[in-house]
Amino acid sequence: MISVAPDMSNKTSSVIDLNNLRDEQIALRIKELDLYYAEKQALENITMNIPKGQVTAFIGPSGCGKSTLLRCINRMNDLVDTCRIEGEILLHNQNIYDKSVDVASLRRAVGMVFQRPNPFPKTIYENVVYGLRLQGIKDRRILDEVVERSLRNAALWNEVKDRLHDSALGLSGGQQQRLVIARAIAIEPEVLLLDEPTSALDPISTLTIEELITELKDKYTVVIVTHNMQQAARVSDQTAFMYMGQLIEHADTNTLFTTPKMKKTEDYITGRYG
Amino acid sequence: MKSWFKSGAPWIWMTAGAVSISLISVIGLLLLIASRGLSYFWPSDIYQFGVNTQTGQSYTVIGEIYDRELVPTQRLIEAGIKFDNIQGEEVERLLVKTGNREFVELDFQWILSPEITQSDTPSGLAVFERSKNGNFYGFVEAVIADGKRIVENKEAALEQAIERAVELNDLALDLQNDEIGAINYELERLRLKQRKYELEGTLTAEKVQELYDRRAELNLEYREYEKQLFAYRNQAKRDEVIVKDMRGELVSLPMNYILDVAFPNDMNFFGKVARYGKQISKFIFDDPREANTEGGVFPAIFGTVFMVMLMAVIVTPFGVIAAIYLHEYAGNSAVTKIIRIAVINLAGVPSIVYGVFGLGFFVYMFGGSLDQLFYPEALPGPTFGTPGVMWSALTLAILTLPVVIVSTEEGLSRIPGSLRQGSLALGATKAETLWRIVIPMASPAIMTGLILAVARAAGEVAPLMLVGVVKMAPTLPVDGNFPFVHLDRKFMHLGFHIYDVGFQSPNVEAARPLVYATSFLLVTVIVALNITAIGIRNHLREKYKALEH
Amino acid sequence: MELNLNKHISGQFNEELEQIRNDVLKMGGLVEQQLTNALNAVNNSDQALAKRVLETDYLINRMEVQIDQECTRIIAKRQPAASDLRLVLAIVKTITDLERIGDEAERIAKVALESFNKTQQEFLVSMDNMGRKAIHMLNQVLDAFARMDVDAAFEVHKSDKILDKEYEAITRQLMTYMMEDPRSIPKVMDVFWSVRSLERIGDRCQNISEYVIYFVKGTDVRHTSEKDIQNNVLS
Repeated sequence: MISVAPDMSNKTSSVIDLNNLRDEQIALRIKELDLYYAEKQALENITMNIPKGQVTAFIGPSGCGKSTLLRCINRMNDLVDTCRIEGEILLHNQNIYDKSVDVASLRRAVGMVFQRPNPFPKTIYENVVYGLRLQGIKDRRILDEVVERSLRNAALWNEVKDRLHDSALGLSGGQQQRLVIARAIAIEPEVLLLDEPTSALDPISTLTIEELITELKDKYTVVIVTHNMQQAARVSDQTAFMYMGQLIEHADTNTLFTTPKMKKTEDYITGRYG
Repeated sequence: MKSWFKSGAPWIWMTAGAVSISLISVIGLLLLIASRGLSYFWPSDIYQFGVNTQTGQSYTVIGEIYDRELVPTQRLIEAGIKFDNIQGEEVERLLVKTGNREFVELDFQWILSPEITQSDTPSGLAVFERSKNGNFYGFVEAVIADGKRIVENKEAALEQAIERAVELNDLALDLQNDEIGAINYELERLRLKQRKYELEGTLTAEKVQELYDRRAELNLEYREYEKQLFAYRNQAKRDEVIVKDMRGELVSLPMNYILDVAFPNDMNFFGKVARYGKQISKFIFDDPREANTEGGVFPAIFGTVFMVMLMAVIVTPFGVIAAIYLHEYAGNSAVTKIIRIAVINLAGVPSIVYGVFGLGFFVYMFGGSLDQLFYPEALPGPTFGTPGVMWSALTLAILTLPVVIVSTEEGLSRIPGSLRQGSLALGATKAETLWRIVIPMASPAIMTGLILAVARAAGEVAPLMLVGVVKMAPTLPVDGNFPFVHLDRKFMHLGFHIYDVGFQSPNVEAARPLVYATSFLLVTVIVALNITAIGIRNHLREKYKALEH
Repeated sequence: MELNLNKHISGQFNEELEQIRNDVLKMGGLVEQQLTNALNAVNNSDQALAKRVLETDYLINRMEVQIDQECTRIIAKRQPAASDLRLVLAIVKTITDLERIGDEAERIAKVALESFNKTQQEFLVSMDNMGRKAIHMLNQVLDAFARMDVDAAFEVHKSDKILDKEYEAITRQLMTYMMEDPRSIPKVMDVFWSVRSLERIGDRCQNISEYVIYFVKGTDVRHTSEKDIQNNVLS
């Protein structure tokens, strides 16, 4: 006799109730966020909580505002002159758009990886320690340690440990992207934003990165924007579907990909006309 | 035919033709100046002509053939030369460089070929290079060394005597330039110091005494050196050489004016090559003599390179900073557009206008103010308030600024935005991103700008004539006297040297090959500067080879 | 929720989904035909018809394999999500049940090959009645599947109870026969197995109706009480 029913769901630990998050489970709160490019509204009244230590994916058609929303989280939209933002995003109960917030230190806490691998034209080593050098850390021992740890965490150490002082541009696309991730986690951010990190990579490199993402969530809160729905389904714990600047549905990935509540979500993930 | 036009072949021919024409022009130009300029140094044979003129005079001419040309007979007849036995439309005539300037009216002489009765290149004909009165051609008869007349083995004795004289002359020159120059420099400084004290009103009796003592000391030293100098000179004057010139007269040439001797008629090919190399190196490393028509051009080379480098040092930071502001910070408003247009138009302003501006603004206003502020003791003699190498470099820096700005901006705009964002996302500020990522990556473009700037600046002459170039500078802008680099000094420039030698010298015929040689040298210097810069740029480009975004 | 299989951006995908759906309906039709034929064969002691039923079963088996493969291919190539995924899964399960219904029909047809005496013919009459009901249920559930009609599916789901009651009644009746005349036991057992088959068919129809509900509503209603379905799913 089997006295205890076998636990069929090995992901139970990561399934949490989005509507019922405790404070310490929340990494970011986005509250009534509106964003305008000049007169055009790109985000409308976005309210959502991004849970800590989980992978949250933003999906949606091109131009739905998912990348824009991602860039709001580390204020990359500040670079766009015509961009205007209302509402707030709370990190540690502090609105990141508050005047007292230092953008550079915000970006140290919220790292970002971009669509295309963008290693600096420096050595692999210098790429990883770039963020530390900015903070004025010069101790060789600390730097060496961070390089090894970051590259290991980015699953790149074994491939590059013998050529740390070669140019980063000699790496393959997938390696470059992992290097960029290593560079981002070298400064120990709390949140890691990934903006379509695999869209420029081949399928095998994509799988490596995906594997890496699932490992990263033990230490970081990961938010990923992806065009690839299967990818979102594979790597994320929570999925948010956006459409025309609105957040249509935010649910745990298992639910969203099998039984979405909203018809727009259903149509999008099954590949139907809207 | 129509299908031929449609096939695009004419277009290819046209474009290829344009390239070929420019290529041929460049190569042709280089070949012309190289051949004309470089052949000047080849030790050509010295001819002895027997000339029998129509009027019955007969004499001997010794010299190098400089040029040959055909002249219409008619013109010669009109010029009053009588012809009896000459037929044909044209007559050949030779231009012969006879040297021996102190004994003949012109050291270049035209000879009509039909009048030449005899022509050969006798052995033993010597050409003397002298520091005064140009070359001397003739047969060595005897050498008087240390009072003894040497006839046997006179070539060796002559060589020895020349070597000794040149050595003594060099010693004298070094003494004059270094030790005596340093004393003169210090005396001048003492004078200025005293004047400064006077102006400040702090000139006390002690100070006067102090200065006086120092001056006396220096004067003593000076007299010591002067004595030595005269001793050297007298020693150099000891020997002489007896030469038979083309008139058949014996002439005594004092050794202290003789720089070199050669016997081209007795040289084999390798001997001539060795002599050729020696002549070229003398041209490059010696100082000019006799109103720039003889000797080398070293001060001009040095002046050109020094001024261009100084210009590069000034224009690079200026241009780069301006470009960074325009591209990174200024935004894209109407004002910046106007500034950009202004910058581009600046490149089209005639360079002489820059010269005038440099003279008015830098030399008189800026330099004059500097003098009043920092060098009041030298007034009314100007220090910086007069044309000089710094003002030349500054003027050319303004002239080449647009090039640097435009190409730097181009380079900045080519840096992929993703790299900037990558840096910003790691918590870098905009300035840090610029400094650590953008500028290093834009450095090849900056170098390109610099290459263009250097190429333009090295070739400019017109503005320099107003702001610092002189035909003969007594000292280089860099020497052994503190502070070693003298930015207030005037300098020589290859471009101006060409103009001066070609058009201002008393003997245009003699100077023509020199013009070619100098032109070739100028081109070589510019090419060398450019190749250096291109080498650096390629290295940087390799280093920062950006991702092909 | 309307069935909008043909609204995918990929026309090929539309066709593939439409194709397997049609295949299922065709298979359903075939199974229905087999069941009807088997019951008729039993009723009319038509041995030829019974034999035909036995011979035709391989068609159903073949269709099951074929549709299964098609579904595997769609999953591999299209990676269906949400309703598409549920449709494919529902189909995979439905055809398994349909194939089993086909097997049950075969078993019933085998009974027709036996010879029955007059009294024994009576059992067959009551069985025929139950058979009609089973056919109706199959027909209804296939109809619900074709239209993806949750309400119709739920009706089928409920109607299984009727069949179960009938089964119990017949079972009791058959047991009475067996007690009265032990010699008839072997024949009665044959009939009993047929009746049992019919009851199983009802269960399988109920399963299919659950798949329809799962497809449309996205909720798994297996092992759920009718009341809960009524309250939680359909409301």
